[in-house]
Amino acid sequence: MSRILGIGLAVVLAIGVVVAIVVSFTQNHNQASTHLTVVHGVIGSEKLPFFQDQDVIAEFHARGYDVQVDTAGSRAIATTVDLSKYDFAFPAGEPAGIKIQKDHKAKAIYQPFYTPMAIASFKVIDDLLKSQGVVTTVNGADMLDMHKFLALVAANKRWTDIPNNTTYPAGKSIVITSTDPTTSNSAAMYLSIASYVANSDNVVQDPSQADKVLPTVAPLFTRQGFTLSSTEAPFEDYLSIGIGKDPLVMIYEAQYLAHLAAKDGSIKSDKVMMYPNPTVYSKHTLVPLSASGDAIGRLLTNDAKLQSLAVKYGFRTSDPNAFSKYLTDRGVAPPPQLVNVIDPPTYDNLEALINGIAKLQTQVKGG
Amino acid sequence: MRTRLLGLALAALVLAGACTGAGPAVDTSHTLTVLAGSELKDLEPILPDIKKATGYQLSLKYTGSLDGAEAIVDGSDHSDMAWFSSGNYLTLLQGKSGKITAQQPIMLSPVVIGVKHSVAQSLGWSGSTKVTWADIANAAKAGQFHFAMTNPAASNSGFVALVGVASAFAGTGGVVDSSSIKVDRLKDFFSGQTLTAGSSGFLADTYVRRQDTIDGMINYESVLLSLNAGGKLHEPLDLIYPKDGIITANYPLMLLNASKRDAYDKVVSYLKSAEAQRRIMTQTGRRPSIPDVQPDSRFSTQLLVELPFPSNLDVIDNLILAYLDQIRPPAHTYFVLDISGSMDGDRLNAVKKTFDNLTGADQSITGRFARLRSREEITIIPFNGQVVDDRSFSINDVSASSPDLAAVRRYVDGLRANDSTAIYDALIRAYQDAAAAKAGEPDRFYSVVLMTDGENNSGNDANGFERFYNSQSTDVKAIPTFAIIFGEASPQELNDIASLTGGQTFDSRNVSLPSVFKVIRGYQ
Repeated sequence: MSRILGIGLAVVLAIGVVVAIVVSFTQNHNQASTHLTVVHGVIGSEKLPFFQDQDVIAEFHARGYDVQVDTAGSRAIATTVDLSKYDFAFPAGEPAGIKIQKDHKAKAIYQPFYTPMAIASFKVIDDLLKSQGVVTTVNGADMLDMHKFLALVAANKRWTDIPNNTTYPAGKSIVITSTDPTTSNSAAMYLSIASYVANSDNVVQDPSQADKVLPTVAPLFTRQGFTLSSTEAPFEDYLSIGIGKDPLVMIYEAQYLAHLAAKDGSIKSDKVMMYPNPTVYSKHTLVPLSASGDAIGRLLTNDAKLQSLAVKYGFRTSDPNAFSKYLTDRGVAPPPQLVNVIDPPTYDNLEALINGIAKLQTQVKGG
Repeated sequence: MRTRLLGLALAALVLAGACTGAGPAVDTSHTLTVLAGSELKDLEPILPDIKKATGYQLSLKYTGSLDGAEAIVDGSDHSDMAWFSSGNYLTLLQGKSGKITAQQPIMLSPVVIGVKHSVAQSLGWSGSTKVTWADIANAAKAGQFHFAMTNPAASNSGFVALVGVASAFAGTGGVVDSSSIKVDRLKDFFSGQTLTAGSSGFLADTYVRRQDTIDGMINYESVLLSLNAGGKLHEPLDLIYPKDGIITANYPLMLLNASKRDAYDKVVSYLKSAEAQRRIMTQTGRRPSIPDVQPDSRFSTQLLVELPFPSNLDVIDNLILAYLDQIRPPAHTYFVLDISGSMDGDRLNAVKKTFDNLTGADQSITGRFARLRSREEITIIPFNGQVVDDRSFSINDVSASSPDLAAVRRYVDGLRANDSTAIYDALIRAYQDAAAAKAGEPDRFYSVVLMTDGENNSGNDANGFERFYNSQSTDVKAIPTFAIIFGEASPQELNDIASLTGGQTFDSRNVSLPSVFKVIRGYQ
């Protein structure tokens, strides 16, 4: 009898200990939380790994903030997401950021880091395009001439149309895989570049110019067929499925560099990164919607620790040396200084282009 | 001492109670519900590993990919996640509703063609990397290649094969659209299709059963590899990857319930680990989705050109409807319907509702695909203690006002229930009819649907039917019976019929009769 009671007590005790550990952990956490100001933000999905980084979280904690983020497409953040429950919005592109700033009468915006649009590709493809003069090497970086590329698309050239192509005998149209411009910033940035080139090297300034370039730029998207909505997705396919699916993928430079620097084995020697020429910077734009959101914008811009952590995710910051050093330390050649960088159209003009593409996408059926 | 210990333990428990009450509303459930494609059943041995690594138990509920997408978008399904061979259809169907919070491809398997080695040799395809969809269409048209493929309206492997071959024939280099669906060329191709099914797994099983009369099968590479390794084939299948392109399933795990984000991230991160990827590759024959795990020697290193997928639901609808109404070999289905006394009332009304749906009342996407289609023949054999009638209908007009569809509806509406149940006599009649029809028109897909709510109590017994069935020719024995367990029907009796004839049973005791018929339509 007493033995049974003893066992029973031991069990109760054991449970007690386990519970106590959980409680103390919870209490610690709660105690810590009470010192922290909780800040809610909605961000483009490409920045989630940054906000989930333990060092980033720790630095925010050290500054007194617990930053909770949700992700959404950058265009969605500017249009459909209910921003009333957030302290800041942090889309990938400047046009979306400016639009939010106007709509919400935010006093300031912060652009703590940026990244140019780039193209993830393969050695084989690089060589084929070089043979056609579409890609050339400038200051050690492979640049894809967007004028020549648009000409290939206008003629609906296929990979098999390239003379002496024995390395990539695919009968499909030459396109750059992108995301869906109606939801994703990276595709909108691609559209910015293409519309500039199609508009005789001028940023599209009004809806009539947008209408004029639409027939030239639309096939870049409609010919792709189904596109995904998050910039991570086509890059994942590029890394996993490889050349048979997406020989050219429009990405943020940061995505490629982050994998290279992490040395995670995903970028093998058959892969290359090139840049569209001209290219455009995707300026990650934080729009504060409350005082604490404003504080986060300030910290991201001015806090040396956070600035240096952004570099780990391939973002360029106000300190180009930090960026170069981080990459060089990891055996990655620092990317080139890009000279031919254009501005994206204003939000409204970009919208006109996107809506034009969206309309054509739904018409690609013929009955 | 005793008191002190007890006191401590109690204090701890009280503390725990207080904490739970005061804490934030955190979902502590460690079970994640997943609406999944039936082809994911082969991952079940890996589920305990997921639980061990992440603490989360995935509870998979299986469905067809189109049905599943529809259920998620219309809100009738509330699973935490979805896991299908492809997320494209769901992504298009969800429009701007944002049902998918996140998605990550987990593993890869292209849809390709398995061709019996001897046939591949005689066609010059064995070991070749130059075979095109056009070559296959030509061989099919010449009667040199007969293949199995799932119904594109019901199963993803058939669906992407249809998209693939249609894109290749469109000849634009870009994505297929409604104006570039080359119906004549597609008819050549599908003239070789001699077996259909509503799921990739059932297709593989039926192929094994009927392998001596079929030359090959379109299916996932993973299914074909496991068949080759499974020891049930009389002859191995050569895997042919058409040079002009294929479509690869990438099995994205899709988060639907945003509050499960942490759990989702943990599960994905485990599934994308090198350890899990190797395990999946070895276990299921699917290719890894991370670059650090290299595909093993079973996988072809041929360049797999990936074809674009339509960006537009109308194109997909038009393609599937063209397949059903114009391209595929048409079906002749024998509906053997119990109208014994016990069917009176709700049960017979459910049958009538079913035929209302099949003749146009079900306006959902999957309902439209399940409708009776153009060129289709159906024979309705109502029975009670004996065969009551035996009535055939030809469907040509599939418009809303179609007299062909109205005739079917009117006929079923006129059925009255009484008397006993002679299941086997009615089945024998269906097979006799089908034997005669198939002799005249061998190129249709023949099947029998048996719906009964009771046990056989009149006419032939199971042995009588088995003797009859076994005396039939191979052609007739190839006609499967899909049996519906309804009311007080004997599952054993119906399972025996299904396994004898190479069919399958469908349980309608907890699922509505119209929805079960809709699933069965995918097999016809």
